[in-house]
Amino acid sequence: MNAVPSVRPKPEAFDPLRYRADFPLLARRVHDKPLIYFDNANTAQKPQAVIDAVDRYYREFNANVSRAVHTLGEEATSAYEATRDKLARFINAPSRDEIVLTSGTTQAINTIAYSFAMPRLKAGDEILVTTMEHHANIVPWQLVCERTGARLKVAPITPAGELIASRFIEMLTPSVKLAAVVHVSNVLGTVNPVRDLAKACRARGIPLLVDGSQAAPHVPIDVQALGCDFYTLTGHKLFGPTGTGMLWARKELLESMPPFFGGGEMIKTVSFDKTTFADPPHKFEAGTPNIAGFIGLGAALDYVEAIGRDRIAAYERDLLVYATTTLKSVPGLRLFGEAPHKAAVLSFLIDGIHAHDLATLLDHEGIAVRSGHHCAHPLMQFFGVPATARASLAFYNTRDEVDRFVAAIGRVRKLLG
Amino acid sequence: MFASNLYTQAVIDHYRAPRNFGALAAHTHAADGANPLCGDTLRVELRCVDGRVAEMRFSGEACAIAKAAASMLSELAIDRSDTELAGLERVFIALVAGNITSHDQLGGLNAMRELANHPVRRKCALLPFATLRAALAGLHCATTEGTK
Repeated sequence: MNAVPSVRPKPEAFDPLRYRADFPLLARRVHDKPLIYFDNANTAQKPQAVIDAVDRYYREFNANVSRAVHTLGEEATSAYEATRDKLARFINAPSRDEIVLTSGTTQAINTIAYSFAMPRLKAGDEILVTTMEHHANIVPWQLVCERTGARLKVAPITPAGELIASRFIEMLTPSVKLAAVVHVSNVLGTVNPVRDLAKACRARGIPLLVDGSQAAPHVPIDVQALGCDFYTLTGHKLFGPTGTGMLWARKELLESMPPFFGGGEMIKTVSFDKTTFADPPHKFEAGTPNIAGFIGLGAALDYVEAIGRDRIAAYERDLLVYATTTLKSVPGLRLFGEAPHKAAVLSFLIDGIHAHDLATLLDHEGIAVRSGHHCAHPLMQFFGVPATARASLAFYNTRDEVDRFVAAIGRVRKLLG
Repeated sequence: MFASNLYTQAVIDHYRAPRNFGALAAHTHAADGANPLCGDTLRVELRCVDGRVAEMRFSGEACAIAKAAASMLSELAIDRSDTELAGLERVFIALVAGNITSHDQLGGLNAMRELANHPVRRKCALLPFATLRAALAGLHCATTEGTK
């Protein structure tokens, strides 16, 4: 029997500078200042491994997938389909056949809206969402409601930006035919108690969709442990190329859904009398996909897994605490979203300074933050503001960058405050 | 301090101490401008005599660029007819688009030339002109969102 070491090896300290070097863009200067990229919730930067994977595909084995039998076609298909396996592992899906590759979360949610919800909904039915949803998890439901006579209802949040879970659960009445909730808010950073919500939905037989766009880069995901029915994510926030994403759904749900788009790739046989469709997931993947993008996404998933999502989450938690404390020292600053369980997203306003002026002036200092409504008008209305500035951090950001960011805000206050 | 070509001393000055800010006791023309995505609102009131602007006042909540542009415009608009102002707006649009680098008729608004490098912020500077144009045309509202 082997002896168990009495002392665990000390976990390697997380060194963001080591990973920064993997992202060529982070070395550039903006307005002659070193770039501080704090707009990761908008889109994340791409590591060299992703850029290389896309580049290699176009240089060495560019071909269409799942149809060409020549060598290039086989290579492209293997690399493309490998991303489906990686995504299945990334979210701990029971089967790779439950992973539908989409252009992003928006297409994933629209697929659920039109293929799952629309055929089932009738007048008087309801869909439950929350106040903190992205437009991508609001507008598709409104469109479907308009066509079916169903109604969208909204579970409230607290002024701190936390979902009132008890209200959400109370609102799961028999008329609710689908519930949809964001896993991590792109504006507030709030991490929602998806597991509890899923349990309540399950007990009532209501399918639950979880929008994981903002969660995927920052928290480990296990759809089986969460107990939800649909999970969506987007590749470009996950250090992968734009135009990539995923819809996961339980196999029986995917099988029950008619195709959303028709075309090549999604069929078994076609004649003018009758067309039979491919099995899921291909039934939902009409047309030539973003092959290069998904090969790049595969490289992004490998990259993130090699660092370790638990380590990333732990580092970002520390950085968030540091950034929150430092930012709060700025006089006249109002922070939006102070849920106890949140990801590294800081939405804020400074008394008397318009969010766009703040963002433009920070850009002059080489600092990229987003200003605006963050595709969440209803949430802005809840807080009674037209727009906020938002700093969203990633594992390649540092405390030093936070310090320079807060110092620059001080200079903006001097200029405009 | 900031090395900003956009937030120049003149822009900051007009933002901090806007000229002709407020309402007119009696106006002949008025319009409300709004860029709802930014949350900016800008009301323009005019007193016109013999087809020319005799007085302009503005009010509202907006970013520094929109406020400074409105303040500068409120001085520039005096004694001009709607046709002259329409011509001036065209010149200003050319300036912020980077098609020209200055124009003697634009006065202090020439400071906005840097918007050629900030296409997303152009709508801020254009809102005062659009609202003034709406007021002169007898329209009641204006926006520069959804335009390029």
